[in-house]
Amino acid sequence: MSALLADVSAFLFHEARLLDARRWDDWLGLFTADGMYWVPLTHEQQDPLNHVSLFYEDALLREVRARRLEEKRAWSQQPVTQAARIVGNILVLAGQADEVVVGSTFHLLEWRRSEHRMLGGQYTHTLRRGGDGWRIALKRIDLINREGVQDSLETFL
Amino acid sequence: MPPAPDLAGLVEPDRVHKSVYTNPGIFELEMQRIFGRAWVYVGHESQVKAAGDYHQALIGRESVFIVRAPDGAVHVLFNRCPHKGTKLVAFPDGNAGKFLRCPFHGWNFRCDGGLHSVPARAGYDGTRFDESDPQFSIRRVPRQASYRGFVFASLADDGPDLESFLGGIRTSIDNFCDRAPEGEVEVAGGVFRVWQHSNWKIFFENLNDTSHPMVTHESSVNAARARYQALPPGSKMPFKLHIIEGNGEPYEFWDKLEMVGFDGGHSYMGAIFQPPTDPVSLAHIETLKAAYGAARTQEILEIQRHNSIIYPSCSPHTSFQQLRVIRPVAVDRTMVEIYTFRLKGAPPEVFQRAVTYANVVNAPSSNVMPDDIEVYARAQEGLTTDGGDWVSLHRDAGRDRAVPGGFIGNGLSELPMRNQFRAWAAYMAGEA
Repeated sequence: MSALLADVSAFLFHEARLLDARRWDDWLGLFTADGMYWVPLTHEQQDPLNHVSLFYEDALLREVRARRLEEKRAWSQQPVTQAARIVGNILVLAGQADEVVVGSTFHLLEWRRSEHRMLGGQYTHTLRRGGDGWRIALKRIDLINREGVQDSLETFL
Repeated sequence: MPPAPDLAGLVEPDRVHKSVYTNPGIFELEMQRIFGRAWVYVGHESQVKAAGDYHQALIGRESVFIVRAPDGAVHVLFNRCPHKGTKLVAFPDGNAGKFLRCPFHGWNFRCDGGLHSVPARAGYDGTRFDESDPQFSIRRVPRQASYRGFVFASLADDGPDLESFLGGIRTSIDNFCDRAPEGEVEVAGGVFRVWQHSNWKIFFENLNDTSHPMVTHESSVNAARARYQALPPGSKMPFKLHIIEGNGEPYEFWDKLEMVGFDGGHSYMGAIFQPPTDPVSLAHIETLKAAYGAARTQEILEIQRHNSIIYPSCSPHTSFQQLRVIRPVAVDRTMVEIYTFRLKGAPPEVFQRAVTYANVVNAPSSNVMPDDIEVYARAQEGLTTDGGDWVSLHRDAGRDRAVPGGFIGNGLSELPMRNQFRAWAAYMAGEA
């Protein structure tokens, strides 16, 4: 394994742990100031502005979501979503030293209320090297069931 | 087969019996007596622009599709091959090509449903098979009609025509289209499809329920407010926060709105017009003035509505160019489709704002909708218990003011719910 691949893999594993542990503030800090979090609704979707998306969130909206998830009266988080994910098949798709595009596959288990469900798909991270490590410029998530009828999606994937 | 439920006494002027939400037998009767009779929205003409384009829909539990024929006509057909019963189209939207071809044995149909050809025709020689007999063509839905591009269909052979059915709620479709400088709208930008684990009527009642936002949506309102307070003092609230935070308006705000209910269960929530100052609205208004002149533009914009209800199948939101389509699947399960529309001739930013609104407020993944879906599911579960038999519709009961074709009430009134059950009772008694 190349040093670069090992480096970005460690970053993705760290990110996964933050999300599983609902450490939202630490996770928000992984993004660049203009970083975007995008979950398209359709296969091959290229346009987030003229087509609806499951999530298309800048820092402002990510912060609102992170705060709502911990609100006392967030009814749909009683109880909160429990999550565990595995990230694998990590490949550096493009780029080099300071900006890379990293592809991976994830398998996410979620539980809340009476439901245990499985989500899965591809992550595509555009990472930039910041002062103390990688920062996310774009996290694109292609859920395999994105074109289906959806139940609520609340936590960050 | 259980005996048909007794419907007498389930609906009173100010309360309804819980079984209307929980009894599977009543759901079966609704499929026959409401969804088997009413005009049900099946799609918009812009979804089938080219010959062969189709769009699938449900009328009650009947799988149907609208399809554009080469001569430009739009047909509403059952999704069933007359040969062996196979569903003909598979995708929510697609193009069938020149003919609708059954994937099982290759029977070919024209886009008006008529049988075009069968393979190895000679085998039918001398049998009772007859191309001209309608039983060998795709069955057409008995009635179909369009209103300004919105296509409705009815499983009933007779009944009021579409315009009579729509009655006063036509004005919401008119205003939706009038907001386009070209007077037309088109479906664009994809569709959210969402499960609700609750009876279809719970969602319909919620659409014009003004006493839920500040309670159900407290979490997202608080989060948006906190984020706004972190902005530099004096900042204008960004649109993305404003549309979340708006649910937190106090009861006095909502009570000033106007609730208007029409015969047939339709209603809308009238908002107070405030001249917009944001650049997207101002650019939109310029295109309207160029098309219609200043006076007509003012008339169009002064009609400000939150959700309108076209009972029992859809709900347009005219100012953010959205249509929600409600499909009952089971007594405790409902599928909702959320479509965004482009106002033809308006600046692209107007459509992009509609996309943002749908993403931020109505998506199954928004900060707002999951709390709705949660409380609907809790209502459905609570209604199945023996903790009580009735659902209250008492707020401002007895104070609905009758006007020609309907009723008007104050913004917090449960008038729209009472109005829906007035229509519901008439449908279920076979009077609609």
